[in-house]
Amino acid sequence: MAQSKTHTLPEKRTAAALELQGLWRVVVLNDPVNLMSYVVLVFKKVFGFDESTARKHMLEVHERGRSVVWCGLREKAEAYAFTLQQWHLTTVLESDEAH
Amino acid sequence: MKPIKVKLSLPVVGPLLDVIKGLADGLQSAPALPHAAPALEAEFSEMWAGDLLAAQNRDVDTFLALFGEEFFSEGAVYLNNGNAEAIVRACSAVRLCLRERFLQSVGDEALESGDIEMARLDDPTRQAFMCYLFLATMQELIIQQLDE
Repeated sequence: MAQSKTHTLPEKRTAAALELQGLWRVVVLNDPVNLMSYVVLVFKKVFGFDESTARKHMLEVHERGRSVVWCGLREKAEAYAFTLQQWHLTTVLESDEAH
Repeated sequence: MKPIKVKLSLPVVGPLLDVIKGLADGLQSAPALPHAAPALEAEFSEMWAGDLLAAQNRDVDTFLALFGEEFFSEGAVYLNNGNAEAIVRACSAVRLCLRERFLQSVGDEALESGDIEMARLDDPTRQAFMCYLFLATMQELIIQQLDE
C-alpha cells in the first residue's frame, strides 16, 4: 500500500514541534502617535502589569525604540501580539533563537 | 469607571467631526497600521488581518455613535464602562490615520513633542492637527477615568 503523501518525516516533525515550542519575544516598537499614558494603559490591560512595570516598558519603547514585553511559547506570543495590534501598538514577534 | 457626561463646544467640534468621519469611512476597509502578522500561512495571515479590521470597525462605530442626535441637541457625549475602551482605541486608530493622511509635512519629531506652530500650518493641516489634539484630549480624559 502506498504511503500517504501527507506523512511527515520524523525529523521534520521534530523541527516543527521545536519551532512551535521554542521561545518567542513579543516586541513593541515606538511610534510618534500613541500617547505615553495610552501605552501604559495598554500594557496594564493586556499583561496585567502594575503601574511601574508598565511605565518602565513604555519608557523603554519611547527612549530605545523597542521593548520586549513578553517572552514565551509561540501560541501565547501570537495571542499577545494580536491583542496589542488591536490596540494599535506596532508589535512584532521575534524568535528567541535570533538573539 | 463612573459614567461621565462630557460637554463639548458644538461650533468647535462639529467641523472636526467632518474630517474624522471621512477618515472613519476609510478605516472600514483598511487597518490604521499595516499590521505584520507573524510568519503565518497565507490563510491564517488573512484571518489575522480580517479579525483586526473587524475589531477596528466595531471600535470606530462605537466612537461615531457618541456623536448622534443627542450630541447635536445637547452638545454632550456620554462615556461609561461599556464604551470607554473601544473609544480610546478608535481615537488611536483615527490619530494614526491623520498622521498618515494629513500630517506627514509636520514631521514625526514635532508630532511626538507637540512643539508645533499652528500659525505656520496651512488650513487642511491645521484642521487635521486640531482633530489630532481633540482625539488625544478624549483619550487622556478616558485614561484618567479608567485609572481611578
